Amino acid sequence: MTDFPMPSDASRKPSKSSLLVADARTRKRNAAEKRFRAYGAGAIAIAMLALVILLTTIIGGGAGAFRQTYLSIPVALDAEVLDPKGNRDPAEMSKVLTLSYGRVLDAAVVEAVKANGIEIDGLTPKDMSGLISKEASAQLRNRVLADPELLGQTVDVNVLVNGRVDGYFKGRVTMESAAADGNTSPEQLKLANVLKEGGMLVTRFNWDFVTNPDASDQRPEAAGVGVAILGSLYMMLVVLFLAVPIGVAASIYLEEFAPKNRWTDIIEVNISNLAAVPSIVFGILGLAAFINFAGLPQSAPIVGGLVLTLMTLPTIIISTRAALKAVPPSIRDAALGVGASKMQSVFHHVLPLAMPGILTGTIIGLAQALGETAPLLLIGMVAFVREFPGAPLEGLFDPATALPVQIYNWTQRADPAFIERASGAIIVLLVFLLCMNVLAVILRRRFERRW
Amino acid sequence: MPLSWALIASLILAIAGYFAARGRAFAAAGPDIRRLHSRPTYHGYSVALTTLAPALAIMVIASFLRMTGVLAEQAGAYVGLVVTAAAVVGLVWGLTRIGIEYKARNTVERIVLGLLILCSTIAILTTAGIVLSLVFETGHFFQKYSWTEFFFGTNWTPRFQGNSNLGVLPLLWGTLYISLIALLVAVPIGMFAAIYMSEYASKRVRGIAKPAIEMLAGIPTIVYGLFALITVGPMLRDYFAQPLGLGNSGASVLTAGLVMGIMLIPFVSSLSDDIINAVPQSLRDGALGLGSTPSETIKQVVLPAALPGIVGAVLLAASRAIGETMIVVLGAGAAARMSLNPFEAMTTITVKIVSQLTGDNDFAAPETLVAFALGLTLFVITLALNIVALYIVRKYREQYE
Amino acid sequence: MYDTNRLENAVGQDDIKISARKVQVFYGDKHAIKDVDVDIQDKTVTAFIGPSGCGKSTFLRCINRMNDTIPIARIEGDIKLDGEDIYDKRVDPVQLRARIGMVFQKPNPFPKSIYDNVAYGPRIHGLSRNRAELDEIVERSLRGAALWNEVKDRLQEPGTGLSGGQQQRLCIARAVATSPEVLLMDEPCSALDPIATGQVEELIEQLRQEFSVVIVTHSMQQAARVSQKTAFFHLGNLVEYGDTDDIFTKPQDSRTEAYISGRIG
Ligand SMILES: Nc1ncnc2c1ncn2[C@@H]1O[C@H](COP(=O)(O)OP(=O)(O)OP(=O)(O)O)[C@@H](O)[C@H]1O
Ligand SMILES: [Mg+2]
Repeated sequence: MTDFPMPSDASRKPSKSSLLVADARTRKRNAAEKRFRAYGAGAIAIAMLALVILLTTIIGGGAGAFRQTYLSIPVALDAEVLDPKGNRDPAEMSKVLTLSYGRVLDAAVVEAVKANGIEIDGLTPKDMSGLISKEASAQLRNRVLADPELLGQTVDVNVLVNGRVDGYFKGRVTMESAAADGNTSPEQLKLANVLKEGGMLVTRFNWDFVTNPDASDQRPEAAGVGVAILGSLYMMLVVLFLAVPIGVAASIYLEEFAPKNRWTDIIEVNISNLAAVPSIVFGILGLAAFINFAGLPQSAPIVGGLVLTLMTLPTIIISTRAALKAVPPSIRDAALGVGASKMQSVFHHVLPLAMPGILTGTIIGLAQALGETAPLLLIGMVAFVREFPGAPLEGLFDPATALPVQIYNWTQRADPAFIERASGAIIVLLVFLLCMNVLAVILRRRFERRW
Repeated sequence: MPLSWALIASLILAIAGYFAARGRAFAAAGPDIRRLHSRPTYHGYSVALTTLAPALAIMVIASFLRMTGVLAEQAGAYVGLVVTAAAVVGLVWGLTRIGIEYKARNTVERIVLGLLILCSTIAILTTAGIVLSLVFETGHFFQKYSWTEFFFGTNWTPRFQGNSNLGVLPLLWGTLYISLIALLVAVPIGMFAAIYMSEYASKRVRGIAKPAIEMLAGIPTIVYGLFALITVGPMLRDYFAQPLGLGNSGASVLTAGLVMGIMLIPFVSSLSDDIINAVPQSLRDGALGLGSTPSETIKQVVLPAALPGIVGAVLLAASRAIGETMIVVLGAGAAARMSLNPFEAMTTITVKIVSQLTGDNDFAAPETLVAFALGLTLFVITLALNIVALYIVRKYREQYE
Repeated sequence: MYDTNRLENAVGQDDIKISARKVQVFYGDKHAIKDVDVDIQDKTVTAFIGPSGCGKSTFLRCINRMNDTIPIARIEGDIKLDGEDIYDKRVDPVQLRARIGMVFQKPNPFPKSIYDNVAYGPRIHGLSRNRAELDEIVERSLRGAALWNEVKDRLQEPGTGLSGGQQQRLCIARAVATSPEVLLMDEPCSALDPIATGQVEELIEQLRQEFSVVIVTHSMQQAARVSQKTAFFHLGNLVEYGDTDDIFTKPQDSRTEAYISGRIG
C-alpha cells in the first residue's frame, strides 16, 4: 500500500473545466445518446404505424361488405309458370326450380327498364337482366314458397344486385375495367347509374352479411359469415367445456399437489414446449388422431374444438398456475391451521382467490383459439358449407366452417369482391376478439387484489 | 343416440345418489351430526362418484373399441344398457357403504386427486399423440419414398400420377429465408421498442405504445396474411420489384418476411422487456454512477448482462417464424424454389403441409404422406429451438434470482 | 442545530469542495431530506452517520445527481461543486458524475472481465489515448484498491467470479479509475469481512491525499477511524456537523449523543 501511485495530472485534465459547459467529448456522447433514443422512438413509431396501416387497410377494405346495393322492382309472379298445377301446395311448388324464378325476375327487370323509359345505346336485354344477382332468384323462390298467396300478384321485391354493379358503387369497378370484363359492360353500369338516380337502386346497410351462409364463386354479393360464426361459436363451446376444466385441474395438481420429482419435471417441460409447438402440427395431430384413427367426421366443429382444446391447454395451464402462485401461502396455511384438508384448503380458499386470474387467462386462451386458422384447414373446415349446423350436441358433428377459415377460403376465390368479404369477415372477427379482450381487462381491473 | 341417453341416465342416477346418500348419512348420524366421520355432503359426492365412474369408464373403453373396429356400430344400444347397469350397481354399492365410520371425505379426495393427475397427464398424451401420429405416417412415407431423396433432394414437384420429386431442401430454404427476414425486422424493432419503453418513455407514451404493441400480438395471423396478400405484396411489387426488374410477383419472400416480422415485434418486445427488467438496478446504478449516459449503460452493461436471455428470446421467435403458417400461405407463394432474390415467390414447409393435406387425401400416396414427414421435420426443428431457448432463458433467470 | 459560523471559521473558505444549502428531497409526498446545509472539504474524509432511513443515502445521491434516475424524487435547494451549481440547467449529469464518483453498498461488478470493469470509466470518458495508457490506469487503480496482487493473473476472468470483498474493491478500483475529484461511498464495507474492511479503510486514507471522500457508514468505529469530519443525520435533518473528534467526544446535540452512545438508531 505504500507505493500507491496517485493518478497523474495528465489524466485529471477534464476535471479542471467548468461544469457549465459541456466538453467536446460529452457533446459527442450526448449526440449518440439522442440517436439511440431516436432509434427507440423510431421502433415504437414503426410498430404503431404498422398497426395503424394494417387496421385501416383491412377496415377500409372490409367496411364495404356491410353495405350492399339492392334493386327494388315490381315483379309479376306468374302463377302459370311458378305453380303449374295451380293448387298452391308448397310440396308441389317446390318442384319448380330457381331457374323459372330467374326468368320471371329477368323479365321483370327488362319490363321495369322499359316502363321507366330508359334508353341507353348498346344496352342489351342480357345487360339488363344481368344487373341482378344470380342469388336473387333463390331469394324470391324462398319468399314465394313461404307465402304462396303472393302468386298471381305483382309484388315489390328488393333483390341483390350483381357483385360487379355493387362494386361499381363502391369504387372497385370502373367503366374501363367493365369494358375489359366479360361479366359486365359499361352500358350495364350506365343503366345502374340511371336506376340509382331514379331511386330504384339503393346501397344500404347489409345485415345479411353477418347472418347469411357462404355463397358460390359467382355470387360474392350474397356471401355471409353466418355459418362461420356459428361454427366458431360451437368450437369455442367445446374449448370452454373441455380446455378450462382440464387445464384448471392440471394446474391445481401441478401447483398444489404434485411432488417435486422426475415425472412432474417432465410434465412441466412438456407443457412449456407444447405451448411453442407450431399450430399446424396440432392440425396434423387432429387429422391423424381424430379423423383417421377415431373416425370422427371431417369439417365438424367437434374435431376443430378438440384440436383447439389441445392447443389452448398449455396457455390456460400456464396462466392458471401463475394465478395460483400469486395466492400467498399464508392463506393455505390459515385454512390448514383450522383443520381443513389440503383438498379443502385448495378448493375453498385458494381457487376462489385465483379465479379472476384464471378467468383472464381463459379468455385470452379462447381469443387465441378463435383466431387460429392453420390447424382447421387440415381437418377439412375449409370445405364449402352452406347449411347451418344443427343444434348441439348433434350439431357439433355437422359440417361447418369457422371465421378465420372462411376468411382464408375467400382469399382463394377469383372474384376480387371476395377480398372485400374477407376483410369484412376480419372486422367481425376483430370485434369478437376486442370484446373478449375488453372483458379480460375489465375482469383484471375489477378483481385486481393486493395482499 | 342410445349412448347419450345412457350418459344422461347415469348423470340423473348420480344426482339421485348424491341426495340419497346425504339423507342416509343424516339418518345414520342420528341426532348428533358430529358422530359422522365425514360431512354428509361428502357421502353424497362419494356415491355420485361411484355411480358415474364405472359408467364413464365403460363408455370410454367402448368408444375406444369402436374406433379400433373391435366393436360394431350396432353394438351401441347394448353398450348403453351395460353403462346404465354399471351406474345402478355403482349407486347401490356406494349406498351400502354409508355409515358413521365410512371415511367418505378421504374417498372423495382420493378420487378427485386421481382426476387431477389424469388431467395433468393430458399434456403428455398430447405430445405422445403428436409424436406417434407423425412418426407412424412418416414411416409409411419412407416405405414409399427414399429418405435420402426426401432430405437431400433439391427438387419439389409433386404429381398426381405419381413419380413425384419430393425433396425438402427448397422448402427448408424458403422457410429459413423468410424466417431470417422476419427476424431481421422483428429483433431490432422489438428490442428497441422494449428498451425505449422500459428506459425512456414517459408514462403517457408508454400508456399508448404498450397497448398498441400488445394489440399487434392479439391480431390473428390470418389477418396478417390478408394484409400481406392485399397490401404489402402489391406494394412491394409495384414500387420495388418491378421498377428494379427483380420480379413480378406480389407473393414473395420479402412480403412474407416483412409481415411476419411485424407479427413478431410484440413477441420479441415483451420477451426483451422481461429480460431487460431482470437485470438488477444496481448494475445500472453502477454504470450511471461512473458517468455513463443511459444509452451507454444499456449498450455496454444491460444488454451484455441480458445477452443469454436475448439469445433465448431470438431463438423462440425463430421457432415461431419457422412454424408460422397463414402468413406464408397467403404471402410467400407456392413455388418451391431455391433462389437468393427476395422478390421472388418461394414456399415453406408449412405451406406445403397445408397444400398436401387439404382437399381429397389419399393416405396411400406418398404425395399425401409427405406432409407428415414435413410435419415431423418442422416439429423436430421447432422443438430443438424451443428446448435450447427455454434452457438458456431459465439459466439466465436463475442467474439473477 | 449546529452553528454555521463556527463551521466557516474552522474551515478555510477555499478548500471547500462541495457546499450544499437548504437542500430538500421529496420522494413523492415523502419529505426525505429537510433543509440540509453542509460544506464538504477537499482532501478530507467526511463520514455521514445516523439511524437507518434517516436519509444518508438520499443526500449522498444528491451530490452526484443519482437521484435524477428516480422518477418520483424531487430536489430543491442548491449544491455547488467548486462554486458551480450542479443542478444548473446547463450541467450535464454525465460530466458531473465523471467528477464525483460513487461506490455502492452492494458490490455491483458488471458482468464483464475484471479488466473491462476497471477500464469501463476511462473508456467512456476517453481518459486514455492507447492501450498502454489504459493498461496503466487499470493497474494503478487495482493497486490503489489493494486488489492488484490478487487478480493480476486473471484480469480477463469475469468480475462476478470474485469474492464479495474482492468485488467491492473492484468496484472501488472502477470508481477510482475515472480519477474523480470526489468519491461518494455508501456503506462500502457492509458486505466485507474485517480484513477486507481494513484494506478498504487504508485505501480511503490513501485516496484522501488526492480527493475528497464522503462515506456513509453504520459503524461508529469506522467513522472515527477514517474520517476527519462527521455529519450526523436524523429523520432527514442534519443534526450536527463538525470535526470527527469533537462529534465523538463532546457532541453538542442530545440526539447525537444518544446515537453515538447507542441509545437511538
Ligand atoms: N426510491 C425511493 N422511493 C421512495 N422513498 C424512498 C426511496 N429511497 C429512499 N426512500 C425513503 O427516503 C428515506 C431515506 O432513505 P435513505 O435510503 O436515504 O436512508 P438511509 O439513511 O440511507 O438508510 P440506511 O442506513 O438504511 O441505508 C427513507 O424513509 C426511505 O423510505
Ligand atoms: Mg442507505
